[in-house]
Amino acid sequence: MQERNISANNFEQCQKCSLCETVCPVMANNPDYAGPKRSGPDGERYRLKNGIFYEDSLKYCLNCKRCEVACPSGVRIADLIQQARIDFNTKPPKLRDVMLASTDQMGPVAGAFAPIVNFTLGLSPVKSVLDFAMGIDHRRTLPKYSSETFVHWFKKNAAASQDGFKKHISYFHGCYANYNYPQLAKDFVAVMNAFGYGVHLIDGERCCGVAKIANGMINAATRDAKINMGAFRKSVSEGRDIITVSTTCTMTLLEEYPELLKVGNDDVKEHISLFEKFIYKAISSGEVKPVWKEGWKAKAAYHCPCHQERLGQGIFTTELLKMIPGMELTELESNCCGIAGTYGFKKENYKVSQLIGKPLFDDIAAAKPDFVACECETCKWQIEMSTGVPVKNPVSILAGALDLEKTSELNRP
Amino acid sequence: MPVKNEFDVIIIGGGITGAGTARDCAMRGLRVLLIERHDIATGATGRNHGLLHSGARYAVKDSESAEECIRENKILRNIASNCVEDTGGLFITLPEDEEAGFGLDYQKKFIEACQKAGIDAKAISPSDAKAMEPSVNPSLIGAVVVPDGSVDPFRLCTANVTDAAMHGAKVLVYTQFLDFIREGDTILGVKVLDTRTGQESEYRAPVTVNAAGIWGHGVAQKAGIHIGMYPAKGALLVFGHRVNNVVINRCRKSADGDILVPGDSVTVIGTTSTKVPFEECDNMEVTPEEVSLLLREGCALCPALASTRILRAYAGVRPLVADDSDPSGRSISRGIVCLDHETRDGVKGFVSITGGKLMTYRLMAELATDLVCRKLGVTKACATADTPLPGSVDGRIETVSKRFEGKVSAGQKGAAGRQGDLVGKIKFATPEDKQLVCECENVTLAEIKYAVSELGVRNLEDLRRRTRVGMGTCQGTLCIRKAAKALAIALGDPSLAPKLAADYLDERWKGMRSVGWGDTLREMEFMQRVYKFEKPYSYDEI
Amino acid sequence: MRFDVVIIGGGLAGMTAAAELQNGGLRCAVVAEGLSLNNISANDFKAAGGTLLRGDRVTGGTFGDGRLLSVCTAKLGDVCLEADYFILATGKYFSRGLAADMDKVYEPLFGLDVEYDPDRSTWFDRSFAAPQKFLEFGVKTQNGAALKNGEAIINLFPAGEVLQGISSADHDAREQIIESAHAAAQAILKRN
Repeated sequence: MQERNISANNFEQCQKCSLCETVCPVMANNPDYAGPKRSGPDGERYRLKNGIFYEDSLKYCLNCKRCEVACPSGVRIADLIQQARIDFNTKPPKLRDVMLASTDQMGPVAGAFAPIVNFTLGLSPVKSVLDFAMGIDHRRTLPKYSSETFVHWFKKNAAASQDGFKKHISYFHGCYANYNYPQLAKDFVAVMNAFGYGVHLIDGERCCGVAKIANGMINAATRDAKINMGAFRKSVSEGRDIITVSTTCTMTLLEEYPELLKVGNDDVKEHISLFEKFIYKAISSGEVKPVWKEGWKAKAAYHCPCHQERLGQGIFTTELLKMIPGMELTELESNCCGIAGTYGFKKENYKVSQLIGKPLFDDIAAAKPDFVACECETCKWQIEMSTGVPVKNPVSILAGALDLEKTSELNRP
Repeated sequence: MPVKNEFDVIIIGGGITGAGTARDCAMRGLRVLLIERHDIATGATGRNHGLLHSGARYAVKDSESAEECIRENKILRNIASNCVEDTGGLFITLPEDEEAGFGLDYQKKFIEACQKAGIDAKAISPSDAKAMEPSVNPSLIGAVVVPDGSVDPFRLCTANVTDAAMHGAKVLVYTQFLDFIREGDTILGVKVLDTRTGQESEYRAPVTVNAAGIWGHGVAQKAGIHIGMYPAKGALLVFGHRVNNVVINRCRKSADGDILVPGDSVTVIGTTSTKVPFEECDNMEVTPEEVSLLLREGCALCPALASTRILRAYAGVRPLVADDSDPSGRSISRGIVCLDHETRDGVKGFVSITGGKLMTYRLMAELATDLVCRKLGVTKACATADTPLPGSVDGRIETVSKRFEGKVSAGQKGAAGRQGDLVGKIKFATPEDKQLVCECENVTLAEIKYAVSELGVRNLEDLRRRTRVGMGTCQGTLCIRKAAKALAIALGDPSLAPKLAADYLDERWKGMRSVGWGDTLREMEFMQRVYKFEKPYSYDEI
Repeated sequence: MRFDVVIIGGGLAGMTAAAELQNGGLRCAVVAEGLSLNNISANDFKAAGGTLLRGDRVTGGTFGDGRLLSVCTAKLGDVCLEADYFILATGKYFSRGLAADMDKVYEPLFGLDVEYDPDRSTWFDRSFAAPQKFLEFGVKTQNGAALKNGEAIINLFPAGEVLQGISSADHDAREQIIESAHAAAQAILKRN
């Protein structure tokens, strides 16, 4: 018997206050997009009545989740939109979308020929071909592929020594660190080792699936999610927490798996943690002790990525960075950079993508930092391409600011 | 000019019965005047489930009603495709029904009675029932599929009035019946009051039809005639979205709160049945006891209702013709009562059509019109069973949506669903026209303009009945300021807007008060913040 | 994570008190579930070094010795926010500072004492434009501190619409809200 009149149907908790519309970066720049309220809770009500009310314009949602952060009623607006795209969009994904989304399948192929691929992707006629044939915008600087994957490097150079540590964690490196930027993952191993943690790979790690979800490849994403969850369970049963570096991967593992893919994670959720939270807790509880480099100095501007806003854990990053002596940290106004994973790569979105990012680019230009601190890899592409200011992951910032050798000595059991 | 005020027939009451009668009379070539003291569909017509009965509900107890229902059900699917949705219906048997003597034996008897009445009723397994309607109470032990559906009473009534007018009928809303013009034992016409201008007028016709629902009791009294009617209040609750897509009923003796109907974008549970005094008919409040009862029974049909937002509560009055032997009113046949007061009471030129139900309005209209025609010596046969209503020639949203050029907007799809094939009359000329005024229900400025110019809208309540403006989740919080402005401009006096909004919000407030807790209370606070009225009515523009 | 003051709610009352306290030299964190209808800017507070947890929600607290010791949030998980003082600025029903069932009004976060009429028929006036009694309900205080089961929680100060008698639906609500936030901030600054 109903006493509460509080709906279990999350979309009904919407009070139509429209605050989400004030923060939607797409709505402000693309008149074809109806905005989060109408695409999400309003649309859902009519879609339940008749699928004919599904709007094609839902594809413009970049799933930045800013609407969810703004919502005073706790409505999972972006999830409603993603779910509707899953349920109602009958068009199969385009070849381009499949290619952009298959980060862990294109990665191995491209990585093997990295010098050639990088050269080709940078050449403008090829970009034009991509533009015309596949709808990847030619103005876009494409992420480079590394010639040696992190996993390959790790197995060759680091794996053997990990068992010598007393404490252990599993590392969900994600596709970006593996294929595009192994240095980030190498920094991660260095920092964790210095703090006395042995680093282990996740058995058969798959892409978190965020790009597949965004591009309508739900079955493939679900399959990957189940494989990852199986590996996480094994890791937890062996007493190893799962540490992540990408905020987007983390949000996907924690939020999208149960909400969109219906792959439950309740049993391991508490054991999945972002690097910054994990290290902040360890340092502030005295579990580990950092030794900072003498005379290290930097002026950094922190850009909180949208998915970190959604995770609500940016405070751990800023508190951690503020611990570094010689760090002059400013926090940039909360704005979307406009890339949103594969979204900004698509020809139809390029213009809007850059318009969305403009306020952030202007802020960065005004702050004149040595570098931008940011946990997100796609923000890094976008900000570096659009401002020329280097973007550093907090993991790499720590790797640079810590005296790794002394830290390592201090934390040796 | 008295000539202007001469008609063949005057019909009192703009509910579905009056509207249907006006249409039938007009189609048979009569000069018709329809008068209504408020707007069309303001009484019981607009305050029921919107169930397109298959007749199954009456099959065991009242085979005559059941047969009428299934006949009219088939006719309405044909002539009112834009107003009807073929959802199908289930009659479920729950374990507690078995304990109460309405188990599977009763189900068997029920199916036999249905089939005898011509209703295609078929037992299905509980698992098939769950597959057909996932929200149904999973503990059910039996289910019967019947051709129930849902019907939008506002659209149905509007379509009948529109068609009557297209056949030459004169329709006067906000025109209150005051008294008869009488000469000896003959009714010559009516005296009426224009409730907006205060102007009194007289209209004459050889026959006057009393189709005023429960208020017909008072109309007949003015002619010195007693019709033994009694008002039976029925309370209902509206839930925030479509919880079920199939009508769910209980397979037992009819009782309170045992029908759950998906209608347009919401689900409605009903109803109760309480005898109320005539004085209460004009302003009914849904009591906390009624709300509790409806929720309890609703959850037995569909447990998900326990955690679904309740938008509002409302109540209507059934115009039942009294049978003093049964105080509950349930056992009464909802049968049609067509009274020729000349033979019954010796008063000439006066006919009452009452009893019945939304489902059988067309048949009621046909019977009343037949009687009128006999009195006037008109022999033209009834054609309402075969002639589609305006908007329903091909009224399905899928077909209508295809008529728009280019990309069809949410507002255009919404309009197509509501206005059916008349949607072509809505002019989406400017980008402004395409803008949504009501975002919950996808109502555009263009549809509002259309409703004002073509469908006789004078206030926001009228507009709501034609377009669903403000009927959604926010109950007008977000849109009524915009809608009031648009309506006031269309009516030619922008300064009317705050008063229009205030009146509308009072009506919304009434429905929300009965269910004012949880998320609905949050919405109510939000509404209070958004609309801070100063008297005389004004508010800050935002 | 330790702060001098944790402010629960980022609306007009919460941000007003937070800015005043941060500028008064205290280290403050604001937990704000979503944006506020009052369109409040957090820039002053953040510029003064305050910590804003936007899109997060306090899920409960730990009490001891008549004090609120710490609060936990949905997003920070096992890391709780400890503070010497807390301000409860969660607003009324819309922002879920108060919640109502069929027959009662309650403070959903900590179960604080709420002044309300148990007879629901009195909550609403029939006329929309008339004053509505349900908007007057709110948490009870003693010398500015919240009451729980009749006992004062001496370091928990409600401010703004969560308080009895203050409602944004009133025309002069803004001044009342700011005044109550100022009073709560001053009560804390005085004790420090």
